[in-house]
Amino acid sequence: MELQERFTELRAQGLGIAAISYDTEEVLADFAQRRGISDVPLLSDDDSAVIRAFGIYNHVAEEGIGDNKDNAAVKADVEKYVSVFGANPMIVGTPFPGTFVVDRDGRVTSRFFEEFYRERNTAANIMLKLGAPLSGISGSTGETPHLDIAASQSNPDITVGSRFHLALDITPKSNMHVYAPGAAELGYRVIDVQLDTPDFIRALPIQYPPSESYYFEPLDERADVFMQPFQLIQEIVVGGSPEAAEQLAQIDVLTLTGRLDYQACDDKVCFNPVSVPLTWTLTVNQLDRERAR
Amino acid sequence: MKQSLSALVIGTCILFFMQTPAITQDREEIDVASLGPQVGERIPEFALPDQNGTVQTLESIMGEEGAMIVFHRSADW
Repeated sequence: MELQERFTELRAQGLGIAAISYDTEEVLADFAQRRGISDVPLLSDDDSAVIRAFGIYNHVAEEGIGDNKDNAAVKADVEKYVSVFGANPMIVGTPFPGTFVVDRDGRVTSRFFEEFYRERNTAANIMLKLGAPLSGISGSTGETPHLDIAASQSNPDITVGSRFHLALDITPKSNMHVYAPGAAELGYRVIDVQLDTPDFIRALPIQYPPSESYYFEPLDERADVFMQPFQLIQEIVVGGSPEAAEQLAQIDVLTLTGRLDYQACDDKVCFNPVSVPLTWTLTVNQLDRERAR
Repeated sequence: MKQSLSALVIGTCILFFMQTPAITQDREEIDVASLGPQVGERIPEFALPDQNGTVQTLESIMGEEGAMIVFHRSADW
């Protein structure tokens, strides 16, 4: 369980942690014992009173087994918010899943609720979005004549619906710069990541850090560049559909390949565009289907 | 005669639509982003037992900088 694995890091960031569900204490105790969860409080809201008090009670689960269960709009909402396999009385009482981050006064500072119930931000992805990234899982490193490159990933393992990120820590070598998005209008090749993603993976647009303005004297022009060490973030969503689950069930390891494309220049000359092959390897966790005894 | 027939037809139509179940009305779209406490709002108090039977509150789980509260569907399925 990621919260348990990341517990020490999250506490080091000063965050208390708790998970709330409608499970009974007995179910949670069994789950905690099976999965080795010794630090994260798993709270039992078995009458869904707190879920309701928070205003996130999933009423669609009740509608899906009620009088309007055959209504097309209700069925569509059931598929999106309850279960892709259809309504199920077992799901009545659950919340719309999501995460609140609060300050010491209990005021919400951030919240993360995904539209499709099966696609969830990992804790590491949430911490990145909060500007307090957890330690990445190191991957490959390399260099070109222009850059030092280190690839990492937020999570070592993923499952159906995981929302995580890949990262590239890039250090331009002495006197080198590469081009940021604003330089595209001048016709420069903006540094970019292209991934070869299987159809059950969605790659979201690259997140770029703030760039610097660089004056290139030979051409008397100013462009947006990266000259100091910087990081590119590529957020990835593993599909939550049954089709995606079926494809993931066939593999133990997911290898994502792609390339880093860029053009580097120094203070006198621009070099040919470069394409650097990239690889990230993630362990695929199958859904935990073991039930409390 | 024609007016009576027209009134009968209109009345029947009105009666039909009045008896039609509410499901034919537009369903309000769900926006999960709008559910629950928004940024800046306080979350409700809670006191719930954890897996060890210890009752936890926001205060008891709070860290030095705040807290992360994850609502999930179930640990059992």
